[in-house]
Amino acid sequence: MDPDTDSLRRAAIDRSVKGPVLFLFTNAAFWLMASTLMGFLAAAKLLKPDFIADCAFLTYGRMQPAHIAALVYGWGIQAALGVALWLMARRTANELKGGQGTLVALGVLWNVAVTYGIVSILAGNQTSIEWLEMPKAVWIVLGIILLVFCWRILSMAARTQRSEGFTITTWYLVGASLWIVWILWTAIALLGGNLELGAIGAGISAWYVHGLILLFFVPVGVGAAYYFIPKITGQPIHSAQLAQMGFWILAVIGGWTGMQRYLGGPLPAWMPAVGAMAGVLLMIPVGVVGINHHLTTLGQHKMVAASPTLRFTFIGALFYPVSGIILALISAFTTGVNLQFTHAWYGYQIVAVYGFFSMAAFGAIYYIVPRLAGCEWLSVRLIRNHFWFSVYGIGTIVVTSLVGGVQQGSSINDPLQWDQGFVNAVLSGQPYMAARCIAWALILWSNAWFLIHLLLMVAGLGRRSSAPTLLTHGHEEHLPEAANA
Amino acid sequence: MSDQHFNPDNTDLDRLHGAVKREKADLPPGSEPAPMWVMFLGFIAAVLAGGQMGSFSGYGLESVPTYGAIQDPRSGGGPQVQLSPFELAMKKGETAYGTCNGCHQATGLGTPGAFPPLAGSDWATGGTERLIRVVLHGLSGQITVSGKPFTAPAPMPGWGATMTDDDIANALTYVRNSWGNKASMVTPDMVAKVRGTEKARSAAWTQAELEPYSKKDVAGDAPPAQ
Repeated sequence: MDPDTDSLRRAAIDRSVKGPVLFLFTNAAFWLMASTLMGFLAAAKLLKPDFIADCAFLTYGRMQPAHIAALVYGWGIQAALGVALWLMARRTANELKGGQGTLVALGVLWNVAVTYGIVSILAGNQTSIEWLEMPKAVWIVLGIILLVFCWRILSMAARTQRSEGFTITTWYLVGASLWIVWILWTAIALLGGNLELGAIGAGISAWYVHGLILLFFVPVGVGAAYYFIPKITGQPIHSAQLAQMGFWILAVIGGWTGMQRYLGGPLPAWMPAVGAMAGVLLMIPVGVVGINHHLTTLGQHKMVAASPTLRFTFIGALFYPVSGIILALISAFTTGVNLQFTHAWYGYQIVAVYGFFSMAAFGAIYYIVPRLAGCEWLSVRLIRNHFWFSVYGIGTIVVTSLVGGVQQGSSINDPLQWDQGFVNAVLSGQPYMAARCIAWALILWSNAWFLIHLLLMVAGLGRRSSAPTLLTHGHEEHLPEAANA
Repeated sequence: MSDQHFNPDNTDLDRLHGAVKREKADLPPGSEPAPMWVMFLGFIAAVLAGGQMGSFSGYGLESVPTYGAIQDPRSGGGPQVQLSPFELAMKKGETAYGTCNGCHQATGLGTPGAFPPLAGSDWATGGTERLIRVVLHGLSGQITVSGKPFTAPAPMPGWGATMTDDDIANALTYVRNSWGNKASMVTPDMVAKVRGTEKARSAAWTQAELEPYSKKDVAGDAPPAQ
């Protein structure tokens, strides 16, 4: 196709998704801010339980689920839907034909439902089902909204215009759109009623958490990385064969994991066994994707430093194998026996949802927003700030949660400590909680600037220029190859 | 969606489409074959994963393999060591004595001028009829401990309502056989018997009221105290 016609076409596609995508990103960024603040407060409550102890809604038992709900439903799924909508439109060369207003209205409804859900949690009205603490009515509202969004994304895939047909990104996005509907509606069907499920209810909830991470956040994040890395470096993905392996193995075994969270618990032994098997086996697709990304970015590290998108995508792609290894460690029974029910579980959730997925989503947002808002990111310093504070903050949380988890779990399991009170294991974890608290404070700082930066962009107050905002001091002219960030 | 108002900035097509124009083309993935060592590493991961299934299949395993058979590290305890009834009562009594040691102290010496001692006390080693009554309903007023007068500023409260027969029996066996004391065991049956006889009683006893019981033991068999 003639290059001018092609860029006009891409600009038209961008315009067609502008409203819903920018709406989702902006609201997601607000929720990310709220989640970070609540993460800080929850960590502070673990460190000093008597800190503002008179406020019932500030207690750890409410703060922690509200923090995770804001991270997953407020930020994660909204940002993922925005990224998926734009990526799918671009990948399949489809404009979003009508219905932008409906999507924005559903986005408003989504935010109203999440707000109601989180206020309910804070008011002490939670379901006690992990990651589904919001009232059951909220699950159904979210489930219906997701049906519409996923339908729009899938119907674009069904009308692919590109001559090369499906690419890796498209597979992952099709997978994510199908799987999240399956996972959420299964959870609603099994846990949403008034069935007295007993122990298996906890197992289903664990399956839901793993499913949402592995079959929604992972495919959207990996799909985005598979799109942006070759797009910016101009280097094709190293191996289509590795990419296929990574996708299909994830697709086949991703849904089998979860029940190993109740290793040794009151579930039929084969359930945790299958979950543990799948959790360890997932090292293969995760490793394969990691190797593929590594081989693609090999020798491109100068560009990784310069392009904000590539920088965030690259660090997300690094956190992906790390999250796979942590999942395998938590799942395998030799190591999992000391890691289950400890801080390590929080570490896994954060490395998967924040360290991997959110970093990839930040990368995508830094790429997409200038195209939709018609202006460039204002400040190199703010982006750099956001990047380093996030990386160090998340790194700190993941490392301290893992080390703290090992210490906590092994001291509770150690038969020689039979006469030690449970509280000793809690108290000895306090230094790690101090680190977590500081880390969330750092991330809070970085996310505040990210939010302000994003709001300025959406308001059209960005830099008026046709040159991208790159993270290298005045060296843009020496890096013409990075000029498409 | 495009802005219709006249604004030179908005009609600058070059700038508006700058971001789109500078993009590189979408590239199809390369056709490098998957490296052999990736297959090999995948094989190792698959074997490790299979091990998770194997260990949980349950063949010849009594317990969940996650925990295996855990050794009981408690000294002298554990399921393999059989405790005599007396040893067991002393062990449990030490825990049950936790109710008493706030006043009578872990050393059994009490607090001079406030709480009478149990070590070497004729109240502790004397008749079980008297001792059980003291614990069940409490004791007030001036008393004589091993020949010396003792005035406690506050009466001893009764523990009949809060402690079970087992706890009282174990605690008393412990008191009667610690800190140099040596006396017969108290069994839960004995405590139950006294509790039954004194069902109507709620007030604390005085020394005078208990005098008839001071040398009397509750009838009933008790295992020997070693």
